[in-house]
Amino acid sequence: MKIKVTQEKLSKALNNVSRIAIGRVTLPILNNVLIRVDNKKVSLVTTNLDMAVVDFLPVSSSEDGVVTVPAKLLAEFVSNLPKGETIEISSEDTKVTITAGKYSSTINGALADDFPELPEINEDSAVVYKIGVDEFKNSVGQVTIAASNDLTRPALTGVYFNTYDNILAIASTDGYRLAEKKLIDKVESEVKAIVPATSLQEVLRSINDEVEEVEISFNEDLVRFRFGEVEVISKLIDASFPDYQKLIPKDNNIKVTLGRDELVRVTKLAALFARSVGGSIICETKSPNIFSVKSIANEFGENDSEIETKVEVEGRVNLNSRFLIDALNALEEKEIDFEFSDHIAPIILKNKKSNNYTHIIMPLNS
Amino acid sequence: MYDVWKNALAEIEQQISTANFSTWFQDTSLLSTEDGEIKIGVKNSFYVKQLRNRYLDLIKTALENNNITVNNIDFEVQSGTKPKVRPREITPTDTVVKSRIKKVKTELTNQPTNTGLNNKYTLDNFVVGSNNDLAVSAARSIIDSPGDRYNPFFLYGGPGLGKTHLVQAIGNELLKKNPDLKIFYTPISHFYSDFIDAVKLGKGKEFNLKFRKLDVLIIDDFQFIVGKEKSQEEFFNIFNDLYQLNKQIIVTSDRLPSQIKSVDERLASRLTWAGAFDLQLPKFEDKCAILRAKAELMGAEIEPEAIEYIAENVNTNIRDLEGEFSTILLMSEVRGLTPLELIENGAVSVNKTSKLRPVSAKQIVEKVAKYYELPVKEMCGKSRVAHIKTARQVAMFLLSKELSLSTNKIAAEVGVKDHTTVMHGVKKIEKDLKLNFTLRDQIEEIKEKIYG
Repeated sequence: MKIKVTQEKLSKALNNVSRIAIGRVTLPILNNVLIRVDNKKVSLVTTNLDMAVVDFLPVSSSEDGVVTVPAKLLAEFVSNLPKGETIEISSEDTKVTITAGKYSSTINGALADDFPELPEINEDSAVVYKIGVDEFKNSVGQVTIAASNDLTRPALTGVYFNTYDNILAIASTDGYRLAEKKLIDKVESEVKAIVPATSLQEVLRSINDEVEEVEISFNEDLVRFRFGEVEVISKLIDASFPDYQKLIPKDNNIKVTLGRDELVRVTKLAALFARSVGGSIICETKSPNIFSVKSIANEFGENDSEIETKVEVEGRVNLNSRFLIDALNALEEKEIDFEFSDHIAPIILKNKKSNNYTHIIMPLNS
Repeated sequence: MYDVWKNALAEIEQQISTANFSTWFQDTSLLSTEDGEIKIGVKNSFYVKQLRNRYLDLIKTALENNNITVNNIDFEVQSGTKPKVRPREITPTDTVVKSRIKKVKTELTNQPTNTGLNNKYTLDNFVVGSNNDLAVSAARSIIDSPGDRYNPFFLYGGPGLGKTHLVQAIGNELLKKNPDLKIFYTPISHFYSDFIDAVKLGKGKEFNLKFRKLDVLIIDDFQFIVGKEKSQEEFFNIFNDLYQLNKQIIVTSDRLPSQIKSVDERLASRLTWAGAFDLQLPKFEDKCAILRAKAELMGAEIEPEAIEYIAENVNTNIRDLEGEFSTILLMSEVRGLTPLELIENGAVSVNKTSKLRPVSAKQIVEKVAKYYELPVKEMCGKSRVAHIKTARQVAMFLLSKELSLSTNKIAAEVGVKDHTTVMHGVKKIEKDLKLNFTLRDQIEEIKEKIYG
């Protein structure tokens, strides 16, 4: 096996694939990256048996062959080589030699025979969606903040891709808050699948500026994200996601429109005084025109800020300030709608104009 | 079948490296072996391909060595990461969360028969406590020998304390013992509307006759007889007839007959001949017992702490108690949390006390004055005229009982000189209340006006 490639290209590809090749003690070969050259087509592959990352590396010249090398070591070695250098990687049995101008090293690799074969998407039966990369990155970011990392509830550790009313929406919840984004307006095929949030984060990290579109293909128990030269293949979470539409309150009667930046500022101020009470702050509407955010820390003092806005119905609700700040950061517009009813129904946060992102937060005990 | 797979795994383990074995075979299971169609469960699709391409022969041999015919081997993804412990968090409706209320007995289906009884009411599901044990033992003695010692059986108590339940249970138990007994249960409101209809149709006689044939007559909510003189007379006649025949008569009311306005004195005294039994508000332990019984009946799981919390916080009556209980169970099912977690998270707040909403001292004074048709100034003046003085004392009494104001404060509110006057006034009313039912009614009415 032999490839010739520039330092930048190789380093970027190795960065993409090496992140998941860590710390699997039971099967050491999973710490390796598989380098395969098959009729000019070069691929770098890693897997942790929950997901796999494949980077198809454009190279200037190559000879067929396959080998595996410790991924972290190779990635770090290559990233420290000078930029602009052309790197040559060649292998003889399990010995892998890397040369770049005056630099040269030999790494002991392992035979590719033990490297697991990757599951493949069945292209015929796959449900495929395509989406602009900016929209994808933005939306996934907006939703994954609400995902849980509690492995005892697998369904909540994922992002739920689901279609209804001919739209494709993604949603996450950790039981305290829920975020939903309508991703694609008109879709013809249907899907209901929970993609692990960790896999999506891997996708986000691997997306670079040159990519324009992400192609998402679903199989029964597998999903593949394809963008530029990179493919991320992930298992789906085999669990059922909560029927989350039912959780979004339909009749919150207290609605105010607030400046996002201002609300972020007063929430951060209030959060300073809310540390001893687990971040609990009190939001209150006072007619005719006051929205107040309050927090009390018995030992330090208290904070009370007001924002002017039109108030029709008075009410109050206790919220976790961190969740509120997360939600506000996920919203995009200058003005946002803040809706609540009593102290038990979840509050709803939305952009004032666009209607495709909904964030709800369970209030705290008051 | 599981053992076969264990044997097969033991064999495979010897042939490949430990790393490979523990990675690829750790979470596998043998799902089926029927007709040589082998199905193996694996963790996710990453495992399928590896097992199929690398280890198929190994698996086949291992199974065959365990005397299993292998025609074809298939793999199926099985999520092995099912939650093992219940998470502690507020959780939205999970469509697969198993229903916590396993089996609600067909508890609320009405099965009215021509007796007017609903057979959901039994003595078995009536929780006996210190608040009602006298009434229940009387009820048991009636079931043993109806029309004997406790005839008429007069049962009174506030709403939602189980009057209807107890008297219907008596009816049901009697019927169980002797299906031929003619038992009829009716709320008094049905009694008089039926009576009026019968009279209109000229069938007053038949109406009367129908009742006279009964062995047991159960009249519920007798207090609504107020202002129905004709019906009262009819009831009185029926009562006398049945009583003379030693037929069991059972009457419930929310107060003693003598406290019900416009009830004929003769009837009032007759109703309590055999004594009047009251159902009181349950104490804390009784409430816990009621909730535990209810939980058992519904097949619901609920922590003792949650039961205690509900019992502590509902202080009105048993109906509210059970209502709150059902709400919490429902919420717990919807949210996928145990009731206690729900309460600890503050997702529900139970607080039912008889204090309905806060009122001010001024409101109480005004309402009292208005009730006695006196100007506030006059009531809070120095007049020693009896009815004005009484009104003033009622105001003091209510200020003391409802707002727990200090005697000095009360003195200022009603315009008397010093707190000893107030102390005397409150005591006077307290004493009178025990004897004077008109005063008791008046105070109840004023309270209704204050909170209503």
